Amino acid sequence: MRGLRGRLRILASIAILVAIAVAVFYPQAAWNAIQLPLFAVFSTTRMVFAYLLSLVFAITYGATAATNKRAAVIMLPILDVLQSVPILGFFPAALVFFVVTFQGSPVGIELAVIFLIFTSMAWNMAFGVYESLTTIPVDLEAAAASFGLRGMLRFRLLALPAAIPKLVYNSILSWSNGWFFLVASETFTAFGGTYTRPGLGSFITNAGLAGDATGIALGIGVLAAVVLALDTIVWRPLGVWSERFRMETTGHEVPRVPSPYERFRWLPRFPRLRRTFWASAQPVVTRYRRASVRLDRTYSAHPKVLRDIRFLDLAMFAVILLLVVVAGVFGLARLFLSPLPPAAAELPRAAASSFVRLALAYAIALAWTIPLAAWIGRSPRGSRYLTPVLEVAASLPATALLPIIVGFAILVTASLGPAAEVSAVLIALFSMQWYLLFNLIAGVRAIPDDLNEAARSFGLRGRAYWRRVLLPGMVPSLLTGSITAWGAGWNALIVSEYIPFLNPPPHVSGLGYLLDIATFNKPLPDNEMILLTILTMIVIVLAMNKLLWRPLYKRASVKYRVEV
Amino acid sequence: MEPSLLEVKDVLKSYFENGKEFKVLDLIRFELAERDFVCVVGPSGCGKSTLLRIIVGLEPPTSGQVLFEGSPIRADNPQVAMVFQSFALFPWLTVTQNVELGLEAQGIPPEGRHARARKFIDAVGLTGFENAFPRELSGGMKQRVGLARALAIEPLLLCMDEPFSSLDPLTAQNLRDEILQLWANPDLPPKAVLMVTHSIEEAVYLADRVIVLSSRPGRMVAELEIDLPRPRNRKEPEFYGWVDEIYSLIV
Amino acid sequence: MSNTGDDDGRKTPVKDFHSMAKVSVGQILGLVEAVDEVGGLADAATISREVEMDVDRLGPILTAAEFLGLVTIEDGDIRITELSRKLLTANVRERKRIVREIIDDMPAFRLVMEMARSSGAPLGRQQVVQALADRVGSHQAEDVFNALVYWGRYAELVRYDSGSEQLTVRIAQT
Ligand SMILES: Nc1ncnc2c1ncn2[C@@H]1O[C@H](COP(=O)(O)OP(=O)(O)O)[C@@H](O)[C@H]1O
Ligand SMILES: [Mg+2]
Repeated sequence: MRGLRGRLRILASIAILVAIAVAVFYPQAAWNAIQLPLFAVFSTTRMVFAYLLSLVFAITYGATAATNKRAAVIMLPILDVLQSVPILGFFPAALVFFVVTFQGSPVGIELAVIFLIFTSMAWNMAFGVYESLTTIPVDLEAAAASFGLRGMLRFRLLALPAAIPKLVYNSILSWSNGWFFLVASETFTAFGGTYTRPGLGSFITNAGLAGDATGIALGIGVLAAVVLALDTIVWRPLGVWSERFRMETTGHEVPRVPSPYERFRWLPRFPRLRRTFWASAQPVVTRYRRASVRLDRTYSAHPKVLRDIRFLDLAMFAVILLLVVVAGVFGLARLFLSPLPPAAAELPRAAASSFVRLALAYAIALAWTIPLAAWIGRSPRGSRYLTPVLEVAASLPATALLPIIVGFAILVTASLGPAAEVSAVLIALFSMQWYLLFNLIAGVRAIPDDLNEAARSFGLRGRAYWRRVLLPGMVPSLLTGSITAWGAGWNALIVSEYIPFLNPPPHVSGLGYLLDIATFNKPLPDNEMILLTILTMIVIVLAMNKLLWRPLYKRASVKYRVEV
Repeated sequence: MEPSLLEVKDVLKSYFENGKEFKVLDLIRFELAERDFVCVVGPSGCGKSTLLRIIVGLEPPTSGQVLFEGSPIRADNPQVAMVFQSFALFPWLTVTQNVELGLEAQGIPPEGRHARARKFIDAVGLTGFENAFPRELSGGMKQRVGLARALAIEPLLLCMDEPFSSLDPLTAQNLRDEILQLWANPDLPPKAVLMVTHSIEEAVYLADRVIVLSSRPGRMVAELEIDLPRPRNRKEPEFYGWVDEIYSLIV
Repeated sequence: MSNTGDDDGRKTPVKDFHSMAKVSVGQILGLVEAVDEVGGLADAATISREVEMDVDRLGPILTAAEFLGLVTIEDGDIRITELSRKLLTANVRERKRIVREIIDDMPAFRLVMEMARSSGAPLGRQQVVQALADRVGSHQAEDVFNALVYWGRYAELVRYDSGSEQLTVRIAQT
């Protein structure tokens, strides 16, 4: 309740301040503001399409992997790679594909944007579905089987509900990821031209390009408002609602699952209207249910046909996979058999400087998030007042802050070269820090009260308390946060190392820069370099995951797990 | 002699791990007729749950056969219903919806479903809780839902896997008595009950016949007719005689 | 019936209802059966041993059973009452009726009936908890509310929808 009020109050204050500033100083900018709601609708629509696509993908992919052990052997590693690879790296390639296929028509660009957002949402949702379906309690499965639940009925009554908690949780993450990519993709310069689709992201970018400070502020303000509004009226209630689908633990306390819109009780609720709506919707729902049951029975009457369809399905999947693998191997072979392009010599140095940049941003992020998380996690007051502010700040995708960050960097360093360096690190910082902060806060909160009290009663204070209680308690969440943060960091490189909108474009050496110029800087994309750069990134990311984060995580989960 | 409802013929079950065989059940053989209340007792891990899963068709035996009314068993056989130790209720469905689960799968239209669900919800004493979710119920109430759900498909055979093991002793005793009350009513299904438990007292308290399994691999040690009159009193020496006898068979 | 002291005597009984919050129907019936089985009279230690529950867990059940008038406790001796004997021979449906007759004129239920009558509409959870909090303090109000819903549902006195969190009083069956 307080969180909500706090957020609303902050939102209102921001809106009022911005409105006053606009009205007083820039009456002409008011014209811009009129377009913004429409742009917000455009951007949100793109997000919704991408999300629905991801949802369908996640459910089918996750369910197939969970029910078909043989398919899972290949499907899971693919998902794993896709999830940990910097997706933005594929954007250029996807763009080329869509733009060429649709001959530069807006439809192609829209599809490219939606596809990009999709790639930032889909994988962890699919994992969520897979994990939920494979962890359904044995007895529940047995009950479903022995009471004859099959096909759609089993899906509706068992599989889908069981997947809902993780699906909703991962959807929330995916959705906020999506904003980052939305802003990054609504405007881009390629093949000697600039493609723009109307939306909040392109509005902010264009304002930045024109040096229009109010435009930037307005755009960012509206984006923040949209993100927070959707969060408040859609995602949070969904999160609360998804609690109903949690498997019971053996605890004896009866957990109360409040109504998802409990915090909105004060709003008018139109009971008559709602009843009328449900009354008219009910026949449709009933008809759908009956039809699905009938369909089920028809299906299960022909188990052989069903098996054949499944087999065909699997065969098709295998063929597509084979084609992809063959094409990939072929491409790679061609790449490495022919002499490497001269630009490839830059790869090691670029990789090193990108890595150093991310490491620097990571260090800065750690330096401020650990103490702050330690304080917020233990102080109810701090949490009450600061959390809403931090949530507003975190709701802004780093890509939207790009114009501000670049402007700030130029202001501070007063010359383009160092400015590019500073802004690249800052953008990486802004993409990484929130994952660390919120994970760490959760980690601190998860330290049991008993442990804190025991520590206090034994006189652990100051540094000893940090060393013995707080830091160890933070380790698991620190690692979780770090994995996500580094993933976000690699994506940020692609937008931060080369900013094509400015003239001359500021840039720093790095993998993101190499990728960008290979794609956009020539009349035709340099396929060899694109492939080589993405490969380098993938190798680094996978190596870090496999050699650094996973082993650390495994050790930490044994050593620091707090028994409950 | 009545015709056999269920025939378990030389069932043997092994799990294979890294090419090594772990035998869980060894040559289990018994029959169930109408109006039989049979308990299978054995120490934990002797394969009781596995046996029950095989009998209801959730798992195939390594060798041997399970015949229900003369033909091989199928998992979704509506003549056989199952009650689980962990209740296995769907947390997102209300009591009524949980009870209607099997009926919905059989394609019974809503009106018929509701009526049938109401009847069995009432029979187990859950009227008033129709729209409650499992998390709002006490353990005993949850198992009543499990029971109503099983009875609602009007099965010939009711299989129960340690249905009282997750309950506190008081609730368990109360539920045992209520199950006996239901069993004494010939108008209600099922025609026969097969229950699995690790508690010898419970088996002697409930069953007409007790099948005793040895520890791993589960082997049939004895099959005993418990001819104590009902209601049984757990304080009587005859009762204790049976408990002691079975106890000595297991150890 | 034991009455722990409270500064407002009129409101004390609602608070007593709190003893039934963490206790289920099955436990109380199980306890009555257990005492009956050893002859209808036993000391708490014997029962505790008999049913393999320590006094810590048995305590609330004993208190609730006493509160319902199903047992009397004197000097640690538990004795079942006439009401219990009726309960023991009853079938599932009759048991519900007996419990209903015991609890339907308890202050907590009367309060809800009163509220329902005067509002003429389903009662919101918050509304009832608030009214209870005025009598038993906010600390116990939630517990009493849960007990009210659980026992009220069992005795078929109330309907509760946890989705909309609305409590309805069922037409009194006499
Ligand atoms: N899927 C399986 N794979 C390997 N071993 C199993 C499997 N299921 C059960 N077992 C083993 O079979 C034995 C019997 O299990 P179970 O039937 O659950 O015993 P009970 O119900 O009598 O306690 C156990 O020792 C268990 O480890
Ligand atoms: Mg078992």
